[in-house]
Amino acid sequence: MADQKSILDQMLVRELAQLLTETGLTEIEIEREGTRVRVARNVTVAAAPTMMAMPAPGGAAVAGPALAANDATHPGTVHSPMVGTAFRAPEPGARPYVEVGDQVRQGDTLLIIEAMKTMNQIPAPRAGKVTKILVDDGQPVEYGEPLLIIE
Amino acid sequence: MTSSPRLFSKILIANRGEIALRVLRACKELGIATVAVHSTADADAMHVRLADESVCIGPPPTRESYLNIPQILAACEITGANAVHPGYGFLSENARFAEILAAHDVAFIGPSAEHIRIMGDKIEAKRTAKRLGIPVVPGSEGAVSNEATAKKIADEIGYPVLIKASAGGGGRGMKVARSALELPNALATARAEARAAFGDDAVYIEKYLAKPRHIEVQVMGDGAGKAVHLGERDCSLQRRHQKVMEESPSPAITPEQRARIGGVVAKAMSDLGYAGAGTVEFLYEDGEFYFIEMNTRLQVEHPVTEAVTGFDLVTEQIRIASGLGLSFEQKDVKFTGHAIECRINAEDPKTFAASPGRIAYYHPPGGLGVRIDSGVYQGYSIPPYYDSLIGKLIVHAHSRDEALRRLARALDEFVIDGIKTTIPLFRELVNDPDIISGNYDIHWLEKRLAMV
Repeated sequence: MADQKSILDQMLVRELAQLLTETGLTEIEIEREGTRVRVARNVTVAAAPTMMAMPAPGGAAVAGPALAANDATHPGTVHSPMVGTAFRAPEPGARPYVEVGDQVRQGDTLLIIEAMKTMNQIPAPRAGKVTKILVDDGQPVEYGEPLLIIE
Repeated sequence: MTSSPRLFSKILIANRGEIALRVLRACKELGIATVAVHSTADADAMHVRLADESVCIGPPPTRESYLNIPQILAACEITGANAVHPGYGFLSENARFAEILAAHDVAFIGPSAEHIRIMGDKIEAKRTAKRLGIPVVPGSEGAVSNEATAKKIADEIGYPVLIKASAGGGGRGMKVARSALELPNALATARAEARAAFGDDAVYIEKYLAKPRHIEVQVMGDGAGKAVHLGERDCSLQRRHQKVMEESPSPAITPEQRARIGGVVAKAMSDLGYAGAGTVEFLYEDGEFYFIEMNTRLQVEHPVTEAVTGFDLVTEQIRIASGLGLSFEQKDVKFTGHAIECRINAEDPKTFAASPGRIAYYHPPGGLGVRIDSGVYQGYSIPPYYDSLIGKLIVHAHSRDEALRRLARALDEFVIDGIKTTIPLFRELVNDPDIISGNYDIHWLEKRLAMV
């Protein structure tokens, strides 16, 4: 009985997955006889719409060095919680809070973001090893901007 | 060393959607660099794409992004913007925001914090309007807290009366009492609604006008005692106290009435020392104007005034805020032809349910006398977090008849596929005998929608 149900569920999931592809939807959720099935997929944002030549996203001009596409989505990426200027050390000339290869504990200060003359310490959300630093000292950052990666 | 005033070198636009794009266009024409700030939901927005720089200031909820003063200020700091244009809504009528910007040497493109504060408080606004000689609706001088006072005032001004939240807006906390019998219940309900919506149960009472039109006067002041009026807009077509369609000139008033009320408003703003764009809203009935409120900012429907006067109101706002003053005098303001604006919302045209989503096909109308202010484009996804206005269609022609025909033609050309819009509603309205004759009041649209 249980086996039969799981086979049915598998078939249902397959059907839904196919439906997702056909319809171009990103998510389908159905509930039937107490069973709820949700099928979702990650959509990579489609390229510029076909109709007109879009102005280049001149947008992110404020952000600094070009990021590797996967840095932003890396599970270990620490994102900026605010707009401001990132500083890697407590004061000019001092030793940076962290360097690539450092082990950090949860709560350790990774860097500082200055906004409105206020220094905001950015703590490590989890313990791990700093594998990449994505901002330069003194670089302006926007909300959600990838700062560094802890693995 | 003193230097003569110059235009700002970089303006941060603290808004989104069509109005952010509208402000950006004025900046570009003035040679001013632009900074777009946006939430994570608006990274693909047209004003973000067209701005010289952009800063993501927070997640989708407005409280954490478009209303987040520290983040907007930090964005000014990292980009070096020396002025902020607030658009309409969001922080545009937030006196504290204007003060904080001033304290950080960033100019606020708008009036003084003091004038925002006065006009933002309905009781204080009415008192000030009265003092400045602007006609007001008869009613209570201040907040009414008990039934006995309410009854006394209602008896004096005569039923029906309207009970309104002092801190209100958008029609919340408003109740009508048609007789003394209805008064206690209306008072209690209005106070409860006011408390729930605004955290403040102060209410006031005024005469209720049965079939008024909404007529508002556009004014611009230089902050040093010069103020001009740019005529009126008739915004009587409303649904749930939200304007749907606006026109100028009003089909209901004469050039003499326009000159008279315009003159009263311009003199009042001159005496007040008002700076920037403002709109004094009136109810109009039987030849009389009654002050409702003053909006101390640019309005959604400002293009209607731009069409009939030929002046760019955003450019003037920027000039005034940078100390260059107004570029014209009252005698330069001439009214040419007739203009009508339709607010295109991403809503079901029958139920008015919001319809966010991806625009599969987009074809805006064109031709002589047709203006579209919209930030949408083909392939753009309208996020579900913000209001439903996705664009404005404005037509201008020599006469009202010609403007209506041009509007009908432009609406027929307009294609927005993938989402529902209010375009079909306007296609019906433009052929309605009452619209064609100009015979409508602020209740007309709701009555008509109720009949269908």
